[in-house]
Amino acid sequence: MKFNITYILILFGSIFLWSCENEITVELPKSEPVVVIDAWINNKPEQQKISVLKSIPYFENNFLPGLNDAVVTVEDLTDDLLYTFDKGEEEGQYIWEPNASQPYFGKIGNQYKLTVQLGSSTYESYSNMNRVPEIDSISYRFEKGNSFFPDSYFAGVFATDPIGPGDAYWIKAWKNGQFLNKPSEINISYDAGGSPGAVVDGIVFIQPIRDGINPFDQDENDEFLSPYSPGDSVYVELMSINYDTYTFLLEVATQTDRPGGFAELFAQPLANVSSNIAIASEATQATPVIGFFNVSAVSALGRRLDPDNLPVEKN
Amino acid sequence: MFTKAIKLFSVLLFISSTVWAEVNFTVQGFVKDQSSGEILIGSTIYVKELGTGAQTNVYGFYSLTLPAGKYTLEYRYLGYVTKQLDIELVQNQEMDVELTSENVQLEEIVINGIPEDQNVTSTEMSTVQLDIKTILKVPAFLGEVDVIKSIQLLPGVSTVGEGASGFNVRGGSVGQNLVLLDEAPVYNSSHLLGFFSVFNPDAVKDIKLYKGGVPARYGGRIASILDIRMKDGNAKKFGVQGGVGTIFSRLAIEGPTIKDKGSFILAGRRSYADILARPFTDVLDNGAKLNFYDLTFKTNYKFNHNNTVYLSAYLGRDKFLFDRNQGFSWGNKTATIRWNHLFGDRLFSNFTTFFSDYDYSLAFGENEMDRFEWNSRIRTVNFKPEFTYFINTNNELIFGGDLIYYTFNPANAIGVSDGVAVDISLDKKYAFESALFIGNNTKFNDAISAEYGLRLTNFQYMGPGNVYEWETIEVGKRKELVSEAHIDGRKSISSDINLEPRASLKVQTGSKTSIKASYNRMSQYVHLISNTTASNPLDVWTPTTNNIKPEIGDQYALGVFKNFGPNNDYEFSVEGYYRDTKNQIEYIDGAEILINEYLEGDLLYGIGKAMGLEFYLKKNTGKLNGWISYTLGSSELKVDGINNSEWYPARFDQRHNLKVVGYYELSPRWTLSANFTYLSGTPTTFPTDRFTQQDYLIPYNAFDSRNNVRIPNFHRLDISATLYGKKYKRDGRLRKNSDYWVFGFYNVYARRNPFSIYFSQGTDRPVPGMPIETFATQVSIIGTIIPAISYNFNF
Repeated sequence: MKFNITYILILFGSIFLWSCENEITVELPKSEPVVVIDAWINNKPEQQKISVLKSIPYFENNFLPGLNDAVVTVEDLTDDLLYTFDKGEEEGQYIWEPNASQPYFGKIGNQYKLTVQLGSSTYESYSNMNRVPEIDSISYRFEKGNSFFPDSYFAGVFATDPIGPGDAYWIKAWKNGQFLNKPSEINISYDAGGSPGAVVDGIVFIQPIRDGINPFDQDENDEFLSPYSPGDSVYVELMSINYDTYTFLLEVATQTDRPGGFAELFAQPLANVSSNIAIASEATQATPVIGFFNVSAVSALGRRLDPDNLPVEKN
Repeated sequence: MFTKAIKLFSVLLFISSTVWAEVNFTVQGFVKDQSSGEILIGSTIYVKELGTGAQTNVYGFYSLTLPAGKYTLEYRYLGYVTKQLDIELVQNQEMDVELTSENVQLEEIVINGIPEDQNVTSTEMSTVQLDIKTILKVPAFLGEVDVIKSIQLLPGVSTVGEGASGFNVRGGSVGQNLVLLDEAPVYNSSHLLGFFSVFNPDAVKDIKLYKGGVPARYGGRIASILDIRMKDGNAKKFGVQGGVGTIFSRLAIEGPTIKDKGSFILAGRRSYADILARPFTDVLDNGAKLNFYDLTFKTNYKFNHNNTVYLSAYLGRDKFLFDRNQGFSWGNKTATIRWNHLFGDRLFSNFTTFFSDYDYSLAFGENEMDRFEWNSRIRTVNFKPEFTYFINTNNELIFGGDLIYYTFNPANAIGVSDGVAVDISLDKKYAFESALFIGNNTKFNDAISAEYGLRLTNFQYMGPGNVYEWETIEVGKRKELVSEAHIDGRKSISSDINLEPRASLKVQTGSKTSIKASYNRMSQYVHLISNTTASNPLDVWTPTTNNIKPEIGDQYALGVFKNFGPNNDYEFSVEGYYRDTKNQIEYIDGAEILINEYLEGDLLYGIGKAMGLEFYLKKNTGKLNGWISYTLGSSELKVDGINNSEWYPARFDQRHNLKVVGYYELSPRWTLSANFTYLSGTPTTFPTDRFTQQDYLIPYNAFDSRNNVRIPNFHRLDISATLYGKKYKRDGRLRKNSDYWVFGFYNVYARRNPFSIYFSQGTDRPVPGMPIETFATQVSIIGTIIPAISYNFNF
C-alpha cells in the first residue's frame, strides 16, 4: 500500500513554518555514460517510437544524446511476427509506421521481445500486451473551498477492473491537450486498487486513482488553483501495463516526486529504478543499459467541463 | 555451548560466595525522600566499619547481611543530606530511612551533597542515569522539557536529525531500542513526529539508559534499553504542579491515598495549537483537529513492610484530522501492575504484569461511497517474575523470567470504491516470547567486582497464520513466492532459541580510578519495519518468522573511569565499544512496507558493525555544572543486493558527535543554561547521471552505491534562563508555593542546519520540447531561531 503522506505533511508544514529549503550546488561523482532505451509502445493506430540514447551527468540540463546506428526490432513471440523500427528523423529515435495491413501495433494477450543491436552489443527485453477495460465515464464535481484550497472543479475517471488478478494500469491524463507530466501526477493502479499487496479485484477504480487526473498547480503566490474550470477539457488514456512496469513506475514516482520540506523525514533513500532491459547473454563487455520496454493496450475518453451543465454542488 | 556456559556460571557463583561461617544478620529496608515519600533509586548504604555497602534497587529496597556487631550506616544520595545511623546488629532488622533533600534548608545540619563516586566504583558501565532534576535544567525545544531529547545529549546517543522520532544508540537503529515505562514497552516514543517525546516530565522520576553491559534481566532489543521510572506520587501531602508552555499545558496532582500506606499521581498534558488557532482560521470548523495529549497515572499501596503493590497507566494520543471523517491518529497505551514481596529479609521479589498497545489509524474519503479506513496495532501482554537474593555484602543474585504474548495487527483496512466495499485487511500475527535469566553482582575484593549472567530466550511465531516460502531470483530484488500454506490454531510455526551471556568486570586501580570491561549478547525478535529517513508513526512492527530471523548483537566495551577533585568534582570516562550484528533488516528498492501481505518478499538481511569511542567529562560541583560529551563513531551495514553487496554506512552513521551542556547558578533566583551540539553530516545517496523514460527525468547512480556522500555538518546553540519565584514572603516567612519561569532560545544563531539533501526537477510543470532542469535542495527542518517561554508552578 503506497499511502500518500504528502497531505499530512502539508498540514504539518503549515503549522511549523520554521522548516526551510535552500538550493545548493553539489559536486557529483563522475561516471561513464550508459545506454538508455526508452521503449514504450502501444496499440493506438499511430506511429510507434523507441529511443536509444546515452545518459548524461545529472545536472546537465540537456536532452540525452541519441545513438543513431542501432538496429531495433520487436518480435511478436505469440504470432511469430517481426516489427522493424527504422531510424527516424530525431536523434536516437526509431519508428514503426502503421500501414493498411497492420493499422495498429500488436494484439492483446501476445508476448513481445525487444532486441536492440548496438555495435557488437545486443540488448533485449520482454513484455506482454495485457487487456484493458473501456473507460465508463468521466465526470466533474464542484467542491467548496477552504483555507488551503479554493472553490474547485475536480474531474474523476470511472472504469471497472475486469475480474481476475494481475491487471495493472497507467492512467495518463491531458488537460486542454497538455499532458499532466509532473512526477506527482504519475497515476498507476493494480487491479483497481493502490498496490498488489492489498488485494482488491474487479471493482471500480478506487477514488484516489479516479481523482488522479487532477492537476494541483499553484499560481505565482503559491496559492492552489482549481484543477479545472468551465470550458476546460480532460482527455484520459487508460494503458494496460505489466507488473514489472507497475513496479518501475512506482519506483520512478518515489525517486522523482520529492515534495521536500517535512516530507524529507519520510523520504526513501535514493536508489536506482529497476530496468527490464538486459544485455543479451552472449555479449560481453557491453556498455551497461538502463530503460524499460512495455507494450500497452489503450482505451481513451475525453470530456469538456460544460458550464451550462454543472454538477450538483457538494459541501 | 549451553552446558559450558551454565557450568562456568555455577563455578563463578561458587567462588564468589565462598563459605562464611560467622553468625550473620540482615538489615533491610526502603530509602525514601523525607518530604515526598518518593523512593530513592540507587541510593547508597555504606557500612563505615567494613568499607563496603549496598545500593537501593529500583523499588528503593536494600538488604545488607553482615556479621553480628555494631555498625555505623551512612545513607547517601546525591543532592540529599547524608544520614548516619548507628545500629547494633544482633538480630535481623528492618530499617526504613528517609533522606532530606538539599533544597529543604534545615538550620543545624550541614548539607553534605558530596557526589557519589559510583561511576568509578560500580561494576556498571555504558549506562547513564539522569534524574528529573538534571533533565529540567537542560534548555529544551520550545521550552518543553523532554526525556528523549535530554538523553540525546549523552555520549553514544544520536538522532537522524531534528524532528526525527526516537534516538540511535551506538550506531543502532531507532527500532533497536527498548523503551520501558514502568517496565511496559512503549513502541512509539514520539508526539508530533519526533519533536516531543510522550513522557510527561512531571510524572517521571528517573531514567536510565543501558548502552552496553546490559544486565541479564533486560533483553529484547540489540542496541539499548531505556528504563523510565515514574514517580509514585507524594505520600506526605497533596500537591499540584504544572506549567503553561508554548506547546503544552501540563497539570499533575499527587498526594497520599491512605496515610503512610499509599499515594498517587495523575499527570496530564495537552497541546493547544488548535485551540489557539481556532479564532484565526476556518480550517478547524468542519471538525479538523490537531492535538496531542497524554495522561499518566500511578498509585501504590503498601500493605505492610513486605508487600507493596504498584499500578501505573499511560495513555497518549496524537490526532490530526482534516475534517470529521478524514485524518490520522496514533497513540500508546500501557498499564503495569507490580507486586513487591519480601520473602524473609534477603529475598526481594517483584511480579510484574503489563499490557502495552500501540495503534494508529487513518481514514480518507469524504462520503460513504468512497472511503478508506485503516488501522494497525501491536499489543503485548506480559508476566515477569523477578527475584533478588541478597546473599551477602559481596553477592547479589538476580533471577527470574519473562513471558510476553504479542498480537500484531499489521492492517485492518477497508476500502469502499463507488459503494463497493473491499476488505483489504491482513491476517493478525501472533507470537510468544519467553526468557529465563540469572545474574550475579559480585565483589571479589575492594578493587575487583563483576556482574555476570545468562539470559535464555525463546521466540515462537504462532498460528493461525499464513506461512510463506521465498526464493531469491535476483539478489536485492523482490523475492519470488514459492509456497504458501495456512496454519490453523495456536501452533508454533517457527521457534528460535538464543543464549545471551552478559558480563561486566571492574578493576579499581586507585581510589578514584577504575577500568571496566563488558560483553553482552542481545537478541531481538520483533522488528520495526521502516525504510524512510526517519522512523514514522505508520511504521509497523513485525515478528520473527520462518523467514525473518532474530537480530543478534554482540557488544564488547572497555572503559576507564576517573574522578577528580576532593569532592568528586569532576567525573571523567572514556569508553570504547564494538558491536557486530546479524540479521539486520534492509529493504529492496521500491519495497512496499505498508498493507503488504507479501512484505517478507521485500526484505533483505545483512550484517552490521558499529564501533566508537565515547568521552565524557562532567562537573558536579560549584556554580557552574554540566558536561562535555564527545563520541567518535561509525556504523556500517553489509547486505547482499545493496551497494554492490559491499559495506556501506548506515543512514544514522555519525563520525563526530559533540555535546556541551552547562548550567550556571547566577543567583539564588536566576539560573542560566546552554547547550551546544556539533554533529558530522550523516550519509546520503547522490545520483551521478540522469536519464529519461517517457519524458520523465530519472536520477541514476552509475556505481549503484548507497550512502555515498555526506550532508554538511550540523551545529547549534541553545540557551535558556530560569527565574525562580521568591522563596520568602515579604514578612520573611517561607512561601508555601514555588514557581519559576523559563525563557529560552533554540538555535540561537539561526543556522539552517541540514536535515537532508534531495535531488529533483523542481516543482514547475516541465515544458514539452525543453530539457528538464534539475536541482539539489538542502532541507532544514528548523532553519530559524525559536524563542520559548513557559511558566511552571508547584503547590
